[in-house]
This record gives sequence, C-alpha cells and structure tokens, in this order.
Amino acid sequence: MARPSAPAGRPSPSSPTTTPSLLTSFFRRPTPVYLSAALLRLVFLLYGLWQDANSPVKYTDIDYLVFTDAARFVARGQSPYERETYRYTPILAWLLLPTAQATGNPLVDAALFSSGKVLFAAADLLAGWLLERVLARSMDGTSARKFAAIWLLNPMVATISTRGSSEGLLGVLVMALLSAVMARRVTLAGLLLGFSVHFKIYPFIYAPAIVWWMDADRMGTAPPDKKPLTKPSPLSQLLAFITPARLQLAATSLATFLALNLAMYSLYGLPFLNHTYLHHITRIDHRHNFSPYNTQLYLASSSPSLSSSSSLRIESIAFLPQLALSCVLIPLAMAKRDLPSAMLAQTFAFVTFNKVCTSQYFLWYMVLLPLYLPRSSFLRNKRLGVAALALWVLAQGLWLQQGYELEFLGRSAFLPGLWLASLGFFLVNCWILGVVIGDVGGGSKAGV
Amino acid sequence: MRERITYVQKLGDSLEPSAVTVDGGALRGPEVHAVREDRLTIALDELPLGLQTLVTGTRDLHIRWVGAAAYEAVSPLLARLPPGFHLFFTPGKDDAVSNKLCSTLGDIFGDISCSTPAESFTSIHKDRFQYFQELGNLSHFVQYAKDQLCRPTDASCPARLDTLSKAASLDISYDTAQKVLRVTALGPYQRQRVHATSHPNLRTEVGILSTDRPKTLEAHEIGISGLLTVLGQDSKPSPTMFSFASRHRDVKSAFSAQFLAPTGLHPTLQLRLTSNNPFPSPSGDDDDTTCTPYAYLTLPRTIFADKYQLADPLFLASKNLTALRHTTQPVDLEAPEYVMSQWGSAVLLQLSPPPPPPSQSQEKRREEEEWTAEIPLHLRYLAPTRGGYSTVSVPYPAVFWACEPQQQGAVAFPPNPFENGDLGYDGLFEEGTVFWHVEPRPVEGGRDGLLVSRVRVPVLDLERAGWVNAGTAAAVVVGFAWVVWKLVGVCLRGGVEGERERVKKRQ
Repeated sequence: MARPSAPAGRPSPSSPTTTPSLLTSFFRRPTPVYLSAALLRLVFLLYGLWQDANSPVKYTDIDYLVFTDAARFVARGQSPYERETYRYTPILAWLLLPTAQATGNPLVDAALFSSGKVLFAAADLLAGWLLERVLARSMDGTSARKFAAIWLLNPMVATISTRGSSEGLLGVLVMALLSAVMARRVTLAGLLLGFSVHFKIYPFIYAPAIVWWMDADRMGTAPPDKKPLTKPSPLSQLLAFITPARLQLAATSLATFLALNLAMYSLYGLPFLNHTYLHHITRIDHRHNFSPYNTQLYLASSSPSLSSSSSLRIESIAFLPQLALSCVLIPLAMAKRDLPSAMLAQTFAFVTFNKVCTSQYFLWYMVLLPLYLPRSSFLRNKRLGVAALALWVLAQGLWLQQGYELEFLGRSAFLPGLWLASLGFFLVNCWILGVVIGDVGGGSKAGV
Repeated sequence: MRERITYVQKLGDSLEPSAVTVDGGALRGPEVHAVREDRLTIALDELPLGLQTLVTGTRDLHIRWVGAAAYEAVSPLLARLPPGFHLFFTPGKDDAVSNKLCSTLGDIFGDISCSTPAESFTSIHKDRFQYFQELGNLSHFVQYAKDQLCRPTDASCPARLDTLSKAASLDISYDTAQKVLRVTALGPYQRQRVHATSHPNLRTEVGILSTDRPKTLEAHEIGISGLLTVLGQDSKPSPTMFSFASRHRDVKSAFSAQFLAPTGLHPTLQLRLTSNNPFPSPSGDDDDTTCTPYAYLTLPRTIFADKYQLADPLFLASKNLTALRHTTQPVDLEAPEYVMSQWGSAVLLQLSPPPPPPSQSQEKRREEEEWTAEIPLHLRYLAPTRGGYSTVSVPYPAVFWACEPQQQGAVAFPPNPFENGDLGYDGLFEEGTVFWHVEPRPVEGGRDGLLVSRVRVPVLDLERAGWVNAGTAAAVVVGFAWVVWKLVGVCLRGGVEGERERVKKRQ
C-alpha cells in the first residue's frame, strides 16, 4: 500500500517553508494528477502488450481471457457461460463486446482486444475522481487530490486494472454509491446498490450501513417540533426508523437487483444463476489462499464421510463472525459517526473473515482507504503507521513464502507453515481493523 | 471358437518350411526371435451369460490393456497406447446394460474403479465413450479366463493362460457385424520356441511370419511372408506371401518421459526424443501429405492439462509444442481429485520438432539427435494423507508422427489381419493417416524400468492436522473478540459524547 510521503496540508518540516513544495504544486490543480494517473496506466498497458507479444509469461490476467472468451461467445449469439469458469454477470461480457471484434488489421485488433483494459483503467480514474469529490467535502481540493492519489497513482491499482481484472469496476461502483448517499440522492444510491450487488454480491454489506446512516435527522426529514419529553416506546422507535428515504432506498435497490437478475435469468437461464450466485454456495474453497479457514476447509472437504457433521458446522458457522461484523456490528457502531470509514471497516472485516481471500480482494477496501486515512492514527502516529504496514506486508510475505514452497517446490507446506501464516495474517488484519474502528470512536464526528 | 497363433519376426529373419514339423495336432519349430500374438475368436453363444448380455446390449465395445513394462514391437504390430486399461464404448438402447458395464468389468479385470458410464466415462464423439485407468497386471483376468474357458480335465489350459501374465498388451473387441468377440494377446519381441498344439472343438491356425520386402512392394505397403498351418488339417506348413497398406509404421526412434524437478503443483512432463531418422517422409510421391509428431496422453483425474494455457502460440513454442489438437471436454479446472468421478482426460498435443538440418549435412543427420518437448500439467488437490505426500502415476504417452493427407476424402485403409480396432487418437485424424510410432523407453537409471512417470504431490499432513480445528477456531475467536471489544469501546465513548452533546443542546 502506498502512503503519502507527507501528511495532508502540512509541508514536511525539513523542506523550507518559503517555497511551496513541488508536491503541493503538483496537487494544486487536477490536470497533472489525472494526467499522470492516465499516463501511468497507458505505460503499463503498452508494456503489457509488449510482454504478451514477446514472452511466454503473460502480463494479461487469466481472468481477462475468461471475460474476453465469454464476450466472444456472446458476440456469436451464445451464452457467456459457455466459457468455463466464467462466474460473472453477463453485463461484464457485454461491456467487453468490442474485444470480440476482429478487423484483420493486427494493430486495430490489438487495440480492440485491449479495450476492456482501457475500460477498467478508465473506471479507476473515475473512482479516483469520485474519491476526490467525497474527500473535498471535508478538506481543500489540494489535500483531497493528495489522498485520492493513494488510489490514482498507486502502481498496484494500475497494474491490476491494466492486467485486465474487473475489480476496478467495483471500485467505481462503490465510490459512486458512497457519493450518491452523501449527496442524499436516494434513488441513484438504490440503483447503484442494486447494480453493485448484482455485479459482485459483496456490496450488499453496505446496505445496512447506509440504511442506518440515513436517519431522519440526517436526511432533513425529521419533524422539527418533536421533543423527547418522554422515553419513546419501542413501537414508536421502530416507526421512527422507517423513514421515506429508507423505504425508497430499499425499494429501488431491491427492484434493481431483482429486475437485473430476472432479465439475466430470462436470457441465460439456469447457467446464469449457477455460475453467478449458486457457485459461491457450493464451491469448497480447498485451494490455498489467505483465508484463516482455508486449511480447515481443505481438511473438511476431503473427509465428508468422516466428519460430515463437523464439516457442515464449519461451513455454516464460518460466515457468522464475518456477517455479524460487516453487516451488523460495524454499521451499528460506526455508520452514523463516519460512513466512509464504516464502509472501509466493513469491507476489511468481510475480506479478513471470508472463507476465501486472495490479493485481488484487497482492492475492495483499498478504494475506501483514502477516505479514512486523513483521520487515522496511522498517519498521526508515524510509528504505528509504519508498524501496521510492515506487519501487513510481512505477514503476507511469510504466507507467500510458504505458498511458494508448496506450489513451486512441492513441499507439503500446508501444516504447519501455511496454516500458521494464514492465521498470523488474519490476526494482523484484525489488529489493523481494531485500530481503524478505534479511530472512528476516538475522533470527532465526521463533518458530513 | 477359433484360435490364431502368429509369430512375427523382423525383416530378414525367416524360417525354412523344413524347420517346422507338423505332427497330428502339434506344431514344433526351432527357437526364433519374434513376437507372438494369440487371437481367440469366440462366437456370441459360446460366451458366458453375463458377457453375452453385455456385448449384445452395446453397439460397440473395445478394451485394450497395455502393460507398463517396456517392450519392443515388431512391424506391423506397432500400434501403441499409454500403459493401462483403455475402454471405448458405444452404449445400446438399454441403460441397465450400460450401468452394469463397470461391475462386469470389475468381475473380469479386478480393480476397475468406474461406477457408471454416465459418471466415470468421457465422451469422444456424440455417443461414443472413453474410459481409462491404471491397471498393473492381468492376474485377475487370467483367473477369470481359467474359470470360464478351462475344463477341469485339461491341465494345459491353465498353464497356457498363465503365459498371459507376461503379455505386453491385450485387446478385446466385439464385432457386432459377425457377432464374435476377439481376444488378442501380444507378447514382447523375444527369443522363444515355436510351439502350438490343437484342442478339440477349436480350429487352430498357426502363422510363422516375417516382414518381407519383395521388389513389387510399393512404398506405402508392408510385405509379409512366411508359413501358415491349420493344426489337425494340414500335414505341412504352406508358404504364404502378401502385402497390404499398413497405417502403423515404425519410425525407428525412441522417447522417454519424466517430470522436471521441482514438480510443485504444476509439474512439467518432459518428453525426450532420440532419433537418428527424425523425419518420416510421406510414403511415395504423395506431396499432399504432411508429417508431424504428436503425443497422446491419458491423464488420470489427479492431473490435467489446461486447454486455455495451451492456446497461446508463444507459450506453446517455448515448450516445443505447436498446438493442443484435442482434449476431453469438459475438464474441471478447479475441483479437487476427491470429489471427481470422471476417470480423467485424454489430450492430443502436436509437438514442434527442431527445424530439419540443412540438406548438405546429410551425414550429420545420421547421428543420434535428441530434442525435448515439455508438457505443462496441473495437479489437483488430493485427499490428505499421513506424512503429507501422495504419489501420482502418469502413464507414458503414445508418441508418433502422423502423416496426414491434406485433402479431405482420402481413402481409409482396408482392414488387415493385424489391425485391432481403434486407439482413441486415430479417430482424431483424417482417414488415411499413417502413424509412425516412436518407441517408449524407461528413463535411464529409473527405479523400476516401467513406462510410468511418477510425481510426488504435497497434501495436507493428517499427522499434524490435530490442532487445525481448535487452532483455527481459537484464532477466529481472538480476532473477533478484539474487533468486538474495539466496537464496544466506540459505542461506550460515543454514548458519553452523545450524552454531552444532548446536554449541550438543552443548555
């Protein structure tokens, strides 16, 4: 994770105060920031084209080949689910339809094939711009751009989108959802929420946080004369909870989600349901990944006869802490104080406690990170920040080292190496999550 | 029931008719260096009842077992398949018959681990199915054959069947047109005494043949000459000579296969081809034929090739491969071995030989040359074991040069007495394709000299798994409790702040 070299709005003590730092002048106007972000992605994209054309080791992500194969099926009037391991909404394949076109001119064809990556990279930039807008609600434009640059100029983010991973699309959807909510545009928020959940399921965790945040006070719909003379009865509290805005959000998001699914089901039938949603229920997640549950799931899946009751327990219990934190406890405790940080904490908890965890999931919370950092103790207390980053990287490094021994050297590293490394990484993540949560409680109420 | 015993010697080795004595029901001859093929043709009504129902209930049934011990083959009996138990099958109308196929095969061959065709088999064409598994020996089959074929009084029958345990390959196919089952056992090329005796109710024909090259022979033909005798009928062997176009030829080169270290979870099978005559030329003046080398693999379900990985020309070229010509569909790219019921997958890969040396270095071409091709494979997760490792055996592929006519509608080869039906890969080529077989050899210094490549697979170690459930649960509880504790802290502080705010508001 990249972090800004200097805290927001404060010139670093070593630099002379008379001349404005180069860094600050860079961020004063949007053009240099967005131009460099675009340029960064262009360079990566072109480098990727070169590597793909000249090396047996490909720059392009395997997932991108899955998407583009699926788009080719769609272009031929077939179902995208004809492509094995296509586990996404058909909309993604439709978006990539230009990649399925061929003109015969190799240069034009290469450009067409890369158009999906261009789309993902553009989504990155849009997500960054939305980030800046949300940030600008509580700080000046230069500082907002500095924090947005953590996303915009992050080489890891640029690499992921130019390799052809669709996670950048999720980033823009989530940021659009957040800015719609902040702007009190309830219908738009509902549409975006329904669409995001259709696209990748996990954004459903934001629904309780947004709903909890949207109280009558905040939406400016509370009756002004009402005074708390007596303690309100539970019934009236419940009635007060059901506000027009909340109903509107629930109705639009649910309608969007259902309408999209009905439309896709009518087009592609059962394969759509199986691959997009049901697959996530039936998959056994035995392959090694960062999740703390991984070793246990491998063990349980391989001996169904031996411990059918206990394996059933693991699979059905594992989601309890995950959903309790990301859908109930964090929204209740944090959403009204600081919605963006609450969403970061939710995503972080969801990924950390998930039954599968791979590095592309880190992008889900990375897009929300710049919204939290301005108030974070990781930036206030440099030593804490460096320690957190170092631990996060180190724990991952340990796991990757064990994973390398298993995957490439063939050493049986599942136990204890990989298992302990995944538990270590999990505990580091829990500690970071705790600090994030503590920051929200300790800091003043966000001015949003 | 009819029996055909054929000794096939190499070119130049032939037997004078005087060297063979035919005495009543017995034929005796000198020791020869040859392969021996025994073929038993059994009429439908002579079959055991279970087999009768099976073969009449299928539209096509062909079994071929190949031993894992290396053996030298002799023209024209050159066709090769990966070692193991192969089955090609077209079901009839009755599903019950198909569903009993696996249990019947288990009765005959012993350790056959398929359940039903629908679950375990893979489809080749629209209604044709394939099955493969490792099968080390024929001992169960030998016992079954003794029980079914031998009369209690006949002592020579069990002894004769025992020789099957040394067979290099066994072929069983049902001919639906003639309603006969042909069982053909092929021995390795070795020194052996020519010997055959007749049995009552059994017509026995003995051939002592060798490859021949008469002047009239055309380039695409194979010539055979030798002696034929029908026991109990002929008093002396009668000379014979015939020629035919054979689609199986000997390219006179060899290969070995082994996994490159370290194997990891994505092992690479390296084929090492040695060859002093690496480029079979299309036979005759037929310029519309091109010859390219191929490897045909039957991969057990523990390991698979990723067809998407094998689609990139640059990647393929870096492994000395040209293209993935065929793979079983579908191959699950994610499932662990222990949830799969399909036997595995068959893969046909076109190899990319080094470019031919310039024509002036004809002399150099005669020298022993070596080139390699690497086949990238992927292991599935296997069930945990004590010790943390499992071993996966992958049979050697069949490696051959295929000379394929470029024009459609080339003539198929007419049947010849040495053909044993299809091989799984021949149907993937145009009619009229000639297969030049490369001889498989065990890896030099290998442990057992078998045509099997082994790879050690890391799995979860059950001996260390005792703490997994408790440890995982403990870590999750600790992490969860810490996060909840921080959340409680936020709520408590928030509560105080909230109270203060409310007080402020009232003032």
